[in-house]
Amino acid sequence: MTTDNDHSPTATSLGRRDLLKGTAGIGAAAALGAGGALTTFARPAAADEESLRKALLKYPGVGQGTPGDAEWQKVGEMCLGATKASVKPGEFKGVELTFMGLNNQNLHNFLFRGFLKPWEAYTGAKITWIDLAQADYNPRLQQAIATGTVDFDVLEMGAPFEGDVCGKGLASPMPDWVAKQIDVDDLVNYLKPPVGTWGGKRFRVTIDGDCHTINYRTDVFSDAALAKAWKDEGHAGEWGVPRTWQKVNEVTKFLKGKTFKGKPVYGYLDQPKPWGGFCFYFVEDRATGYVKMPGDKIWLFEPDTMKPLVNNPGWVRAIQDIVDSLPYEPADQLNADPGTTAFQQFLAGTGSLLSWWGDIGQMANTSDSSVVGNVIGFDILPGSEELYNRKTGKWEKPAGGVNYAPNMAYLGWGIYVMARVDSDSKKHQAAWSAAAHLGGKDLSLWTVMYPSGFQVHRQSHFNIDEWLAAGYQKDYITGYLDSQRNSYNHPNFTIEPRIPGIFQYYSVAEDELTKVFARKITAQQGADNIAAAWEKLTDKIGREKQIALYKDSMGM
Amino acid sequence: MSAHAAAVARHTPRHRSRAARRLQRFGSHTLIYGALLLWAFISLFPIYWTITTSFKVAVDVTQGHLVPWLDFEPKWRGWRALGLSPQMLTMSSPSRDEFLLRFGNSVVAAVGAAVVAVVIGSLAAYGLARFEYRFGPWRNKDISFFFLSQLILPPVVLALPFLILYKELVLLDTKLGLIMVYTLMVLPIVIWIMRDQFMAIPYELEQAAYVDGATTWGAFLRIVLPIALPGMTAAFILSVILCWNEYFFAALLTSTDAKTLPVMVASQTGSQGIDWWTMAALSTAAILPLVLIGIFLERYIVKGLTAGAIK
Amino acid sequence: MSTGSLSSPTVLAASRAVSRAARGRALILIASLLLAALCVTQVLHNLGVVGAGFADWRPIALAYLLWALALGRGLVLVRRERGHRALFLLPALLFTLAMVIFPTVFGLYIAATDWNLSSLTGVHFNVLGNFTTMLHDAFFWTALGNMVWYVLSVLAQYAIAFGLALLLNAEIRARKFFRVVFLLPFMLSPVAVSWMIGKSIMEYRFGPAATLARLLGWETPAFFATPWVARASIMAMDSWMWIPFVMVLLLAGLQALPHEVAESAKVDGANPWQAFWKITFPLMLPVSVTAVILRIIFELKLADIVINVTAGGPGGATDTVSSFIYREYRDRSNVGYGTMLAEFYLIIIIVFVSILLSVVSRWLRRVT
Repeated sequence: MTTDNDHSPTATSLGRRDLLKGTAGIGAAAALGAGGALTTFARPAAADEESLRKALLKYPGVGQGTPGDAEWQKVGEMCLGATKASVKPGEFKGVELTFMGLNNQNLHNFLFRGFLKPWEAYTGAKITWIDLAQADYNPRLQQAIATGTVDFDVLEMGAPFEGDVCGKGLASPMPDWVAKQIDVDDLVNYLKPPVGTWGGKRFRVTIDGDCHTINYRTDVFSDAALAKAWKDEGHAGEWGVPRTWQKVNEVTKFLKGKTFKGKPVYGYLDQPKPWGGFCFYFVEDRATGYVKMPGDKIWLFEPDTMKPLVNNPGWVRAIQDIVDSLPYEPADQLNADPGTTAFQQFLAGTGSLLSWWGDIGQMANTSDSSVVGNVIGFDILPGSEELYNRKTGKWEKPAGGVNYAPNMAYLGWGIYVMARVDSDSKKHQAAWSAAAHLGGKDLSLWTVMYPSGFQVHRQSHFNIDEWLAAGYQKDYITGYLDSQRNSYNHPNFTIEPRIPGIFQYYSVAEDELTKVFARKITAQQGADNIAAAWEKLTDKIGREKQIALYKDSMGM
Repeated sequence: MSAHAAAVARHTPRHRSRAARRLQRFGSHTLIYGALLLWAFISLFPIYWTITTSFKVAVDVTQGHLVPWLDFEPKWRGWRALGLSPQMLTMSSPSRDEFLLRFGNSVVAAVGAAVVAVVIGSLAAYGLARFEYRFGPWRNKDISFFFLSQLILPPVVLALPFLILYKELVLLDTKLGLIMVYTLMVLPIVIWIMRDQFMAIPYELEQAAYVDGATTWGAFLRIVLPIALPGMTAAFILSVILCWNEYFFAALLTSTDAKTLPVMVASQTGSQGIDWWTMAALSTAAILPLVLIGIFLERYIVKGLTAGAIK
Repeated sequence: MSTGSLSSPTVLAASRAVSRAARGRALILIASLLLAALCVTQVLHNLGVVGAGFADWRPIALAYLLWALALGRGLVLVRRERGHRALFLLPALLFTLAMVIFPTVFGLYIAATDWNLSSLTGVHFNVLGNFTTMLHDAFFWTALGNMVWYVLSVLAQYAIAFGLALLLNAEIRARKFFRVVFLLPFMLSPVAVSWMIGKSIMEYRFGPAATLARLLGWETPAFFATPWVARASIMAMDSWMWIPFVMVLLLAGLQALPHEVAESAKVDGANPWQAFWKITFPLMLPVSVTAVILRIIFELKLADIVINVTAGGPGGATDTVSSFIYREYRDRSNVGYGTMLAEFYLIIIIVFVSILLSVVSRWLRRVT
């Protein structure tokens, strides 16, 4: 039996005794278990910030294997400066907080445990953890709210659920000192209000950003033999990464039956199998280019009536595209969900085009689950040469030739504090201090660089030099960061409404779409069924209130 | 000479038949062992796959490598994520703490519920097998069916009722609460299995005991119970396994103190893909206690001595 | 106790018996009144009518336990032998009633409403609405249709399990090994089965099962892409898991069969095939019925594997009623309608199982 060639977590460059020496004065910090304290970097002084960031990004360094608990604790300790500046040692002694979040492959909550251990040691507060599997997250949260069994003070939550929590007044608004501590102005544009706010109040400590980008195989799209075949078959333009959905479909059909490096090669990978609502994001990816008009926030519902737009010609065309593409994709594609396409197909070498969240790029480089490695390139989602105008009901030529509309699917995870702590000022203070620690600017640099499940979400994350210092390759990381930045800052980015029950809408749509993809009904019938189900759902949830929350969430 | 010939003549067919019989026995042996080995392979292969997967890394999984050392180099990846690789054993690991806590809770919940269910279930089953009950229009048949019907409702729709019930009874996130709901879950199975077992035991045995002055309970405890042991063991094993792998109520009713293993297995997959190695390692670790139970209790399924003597 | 009456004058014994019975009745009555009083107070307390009461219902649960003890003791006092007999049944009965009475009542209430957990307008009664939605719900009826096939697969599982039980019951070497090994599939958790088998062994690209299928001449071994293949694959996985359950029950039954039965068959000169059908199989019928009924009930609740592996696809071909309810209730928080579906399904199953039971018991009576 051999062990991995990863660095063992203890094999760090600093000795534990050295670490502890500096903290001898602070009793609480000295009581740390495995985590040491790098006090040199823990001071909040601005001059030290740069050196702190430098130390962080080398810890443990890209290519040194997946970091574990020891690393998390040390990173948490290194980033404790802001907390130390605002909280006295032991100030929260006796406070007990319950934190509910995900256990996603022993990340998320386990990561937070490590990050917060030094915080607990310093402040004296104690945190108990509720870990949920992702599949249980939504029902558990909804059922807890409905039955009055909300038994947590701090919550890790995705923005789409805000409508159910913040919209119902269950969350605690963010105090100003927290906004200052986590430097909310550093967030990328699309994550600034209205995202994270309700009724003008800010609720969310952003720890993650989300958008779908197109991931492609650089080797496939630079292959000479394929380029020749492309010409020979009389396709227009040069062989290369398709930049419109029309081209994506063309490439997918072209690649069927071709081989690359002796294996069958495929084009775009669709995800027709339901995945708890998440699959609908991938249908959106194909649709936004067709329906999302520049300067118009509306693409899913009419704002004044909540009338669904999902059965307009633009959407139906996107659905039809999937139906038409499926025969040209791998034989098992009908049963593929986003987990299959990303991890069993794309990262394992099947398929050459995939739209997915940005963490797949991060994983291709730093985690053990990747097989393809450095042959992945990134760009913003393809656009469309034709745009459906919902106001005129006609297809138009977009200004500039191609209409791009990157999809900010899911809007990322955030930390929320529940309103039930508001009555106890010490607990309120403690809960927000913990949330602010997790949302810290420097800590986030580490989480977006290393496997954590979190993506870049601050302007300060786009400093290429820092990524190079961590050990990333220049071409690779430039492409990755550009795809993210250009999506986030795109003038026509697409943001989903954070209304209550949004995942119910998605889930119903997924179910109806399976019938379309199995060719039992037409795309138009499927889309009409979805629209009908959505209308019914809106009535059930309460149309008037839903309209108000919809407008609030879209900042209208 | 002729006598000898006659003897030979008499012997030959017998010889032939013995050889034929041996051949036939060889044939049926091949068939029996062939079938046994085939099914053993079908049963074992997925388990083998699970165990070997816990020593794989991504490449080995996505290329379908089969045999350790031969086509892939085993790594501790999956076990390290649980803090259970040799190298990690000496270090602090939140996932190991989590695993051990959940493991212990699973043991308590599964064994506790199985014991309670087998005890009260066997009693009820004996009553239903031997005596005539009547609750209004209800007879034994209806009571048995009442128990059985508790098994039918898909558990998912009990989510809200049980949440509220357990909230009011302060049983949320307690092992007692889990034991109670699991007992409810396996009780019908135990009752139905044991009812058949008790019915198969001749009533004369108890009658003889009554003549000797035994009470109803005395005859049950001293005479019937030992005979019913194989069935009770089978019921116990099945109950433990069913409770051990129960996911739905565990995910619903526990949060910090009483959480059990299955939710952790499911946590190995989510929007960031799947950690095959960790899920495999967890599944392997989770199946071990059940295998031990199987090995040690299986023999009690074999007919007890008492039963053999009586039948 | 009752032996005393033999030596005493009958009158005295009778009066003592009467007073015993009276004491028993009094005990039950007082205990019941106390329990009822406590419950009423607590309900009123929760409604805010009365100040007195407990913070939660736990003390009531304890009171129920005490009441159960009093009831048992009282029954023994009143009914003597019949009371003793009732004691066998009471623990299981009282436990089950206590656990299900609230969920049942509350479940019926939920089923009658349009409760959606995300709803901003509260809960309304909606019996008719739920019912008509159900009548027009193509997903539900597709799933219900699929259940027919899933239930039929139980017969195949039963046949295989019986064969395995017979093999294990025979005089074989390494019997213990085979018995434990054959039980193993049941021990793997459904989540692990879904992932390790459905998404790994049966994976199109790298799964050993797909490789084997390619060797056997199936060029595109996509196990979950066409309706019948997908359904058969789900059935195979489900059977793999549950055959041991049926097998153990049958094995325990075989072990309990008297030795003489097998020997008498030998004396009759019946070949093993005849002996099985004439003797073993009929004797095994009661156990078989239990095994098959339990198995059918579990089959009707089949959900985990479907949810994880196919999510009901392709196009609803593998969907089960439970997995559909799961999506309604959990993914869509549509608890009112979801519960309605489940209650309706419950009624169908109860009717189906009772018909099955009465047909089988009539048939059993004719056979034996």
